[in-house]
Amino acid sequence: MRHQRSLAFVALAAGAMLLPEIVRAAGDMAEAAANLPPAPQPSRADYPQIGGLSARTVAWGLAQMHLFLAAFVLAVPLFAIATEFMGQVTGDRRFDDMAHEFMKITMAAYSLTALVGGSLALALFLFYPQLMGYLLQVFRGQVLIYAALFLLESVTLYIYYYSWDALRYGNRKWVHMSIGLGLNTVGLTLMFVANAWATFMMSPAGVDFTTGAVTGSVWEATRNPLWNPLNLHRFLANIAYGGAIVGGYAAYMFLAEKDPVKKAHYDWMGYTSNFIAILGFLPLPFAGYWLMAEIYAYSQQMGITAMGGILAWLFIIQAVLIGTIMLAANYYLWSGLMRTERGAAYGKYVKYIMVVILGGFLVWVTPHSLILTPQEIQYLGGTQHKLLGPLGIMPAKNTAVNLMLVFTFLSFQMFYRSSRKPTNKFADIGNGLIIALYVIGIINIVGAGIYGYITPTVYKVGASVPQVISTLTIIVGAVIIDLFRLRGAEPEKVHWGRMTERSQYALFVLPVAFTWLMGLMGYIRSSLRTNWHVYTIMKDNSPEAYIPTIGQAGNTITVITLVFMAIMVFVFWLSRLGTTRQKDPSVRETIG
Amino acid sequence: MNTKQILAILIGLALWAAYFYAMDRYIMNAQGLPVGYDLMPL
Repeated sequence: MRHQRSLAFVALAAGAMLLPEIVRAAGDMAEAAANLPPAPQPSRADYPQIGGLSARTVAWGLAQMHLFLAAFVLAVPLFAIATEFMGQVTGDRRFDDMAHEFMKITMAAYSLTALVGGSLALALFLFYPQLMGYLLQVFRGQVLIYAALFLLESVTLYIYYYSWDALRYGNRKWVHMSIGLGLNTVGLTLMFVANAWATFMMSPAGVDFTTGAVTGSVWEATRNPLWNPLNLHRFLANIAYGGAIVGGYAAYMFLAEKDPVKKAHYDWMGYTSNFIAILGFLPLPFAGYWLMAEIYAYSQQMGITAMGGILAWLFIIQAVLIGTIMLAANYYLWSGLMRTERGAAYGKYVKYIMVVILGGFLVWVTPHSLILTPQEIQYLGGTQHKLLGPLGIMPAKNTAVNLMLVFTFLSFQMFYRSSRKPTNKFADIGNGLIIALYVIGIINIVGAGIYGYITPTVYKVGASVPQVISTLTIIVGAVIIDLFRLRGAEPEKVHWGRMTERSQYALFVLPVAFTWLMGLMGYIRSSLRTNWHVYTIMKDNSPEAYIPTIGQAGNTITVITLVFMAIMVFVFWLSRLGTTRQKDPSVRETIG
Repeated sequence: MNTKQILAILIGLALWAAYFYAMDRYIMNAQGLPVGYDLMPL
């Protein structure tokens, strides 16, 4: 105790001695910042006008397109290497072939990513030269590192893809996977660097807040408050997105193929891709929640603009899209139950899961405040509906989304179980424990939701964390118990390819809804800066420095989504074209 | 559903209830939100 006191005394004395130094240093820094060149403050005349072109729409479209393509080409190698590793560990060559095919689709999209990225950079320098000049001042040499990483990404990607057959067995396979690991490391670093630029514009760091002068290092600007939340959110979202796009490819091939063996392959690929998409998707709301919480922590004004202000209605559209994704993914899983003989036994539970998912979806899309005419307000007796109004606030929505995630996982678990017949003694006990886990976990999620209505706001927000942990406990707990239950289980034959054509359209819904959703959320994230290029540092004085109407934003995002989907169909078609061989007319088939 | 399974459910209900209750309390307190035995704000 005495020792601790003396330590505290020494620390205090040192602090007291250093205080004048610290004050002087702060003064020096302020003086130094005053001498540094401030952030440019462009006037309207400083923004070049090229014909009748809308600078914002051009930059918006190209940035979004680049992001879609980049998300796809960065995500696929991540799960390609995981699939390749799975093939190596299990000795099942089908995994290896599928990983190779995943990469084939990426290759076709890679050059388009670079082309659109280059066009975006040109458009930004053309339309926003002052902003780009300032960002270059802030990030300096990092831009060159980015360019070097891009080169390295291209080299490792080409080597990884083209050496697949040359490095296929034994130790060479490990060399190949190491190249894949290198590719993914470079890819993720690229994304993290680009994320730093985007988040710096939202939550600047390493600059003087009065003048915008660059006072800190590149690293200080990079690790700005929103950098890591966005890194995590984009990492998970990219995996979900990549899985959804590849699932769309598998569905396309499933519908196009006539050969039952190939159909079975693409059905398996579709199932795996859907699994990857959902795996990335399940923790995504929690990462999004963290990002939003950090936005609020950084600037309450920014948080309110997003969730309670002009952009709040877009979150209702977000809910519709996420609900669509959930319904499509679940429908695909339920359709998959017909692949096994035991699957039918689980069919009776589907309707109950459907009720929860649809109910959750409806709660999620219920708005808190309605846009009403005076007559409607009079009829309702206020701006909120008596029964539906309470469903518009976060405790109800958190409860709904957690239940939707739990029941989506249940759909997965049913399919997993349908192909395995338990034989060990723990099976019944394990099943009892899992039933109890679901019951108590769901009660806890609903209870925490109700708790939000009867406690002050801080408790309401705080209660969302136990809800998330409950969902994760159910998922992790059920997986662990099931692994013990199904140890030594008799595998049931899975009839890959025994799927309806209708189910494949659910796999098409996923990439379309994901693309739309990313476009929408990306727009919201970017719009949070309102009329600032760099929030509170550099004002946007361009003629388009306003938040567009919901309709205008919706139309722009829809057009971008449609163009991207057209590009994807082209990429799928190219991949199929690459495997199509014309018959040699000089070789005549002899009959008999 | 056999006796063993019903017993497992009952024991599971008690165990999971204890786990979720402890988790709720711990997380609320860890966030600086003190709660009583009934999980209501103190």
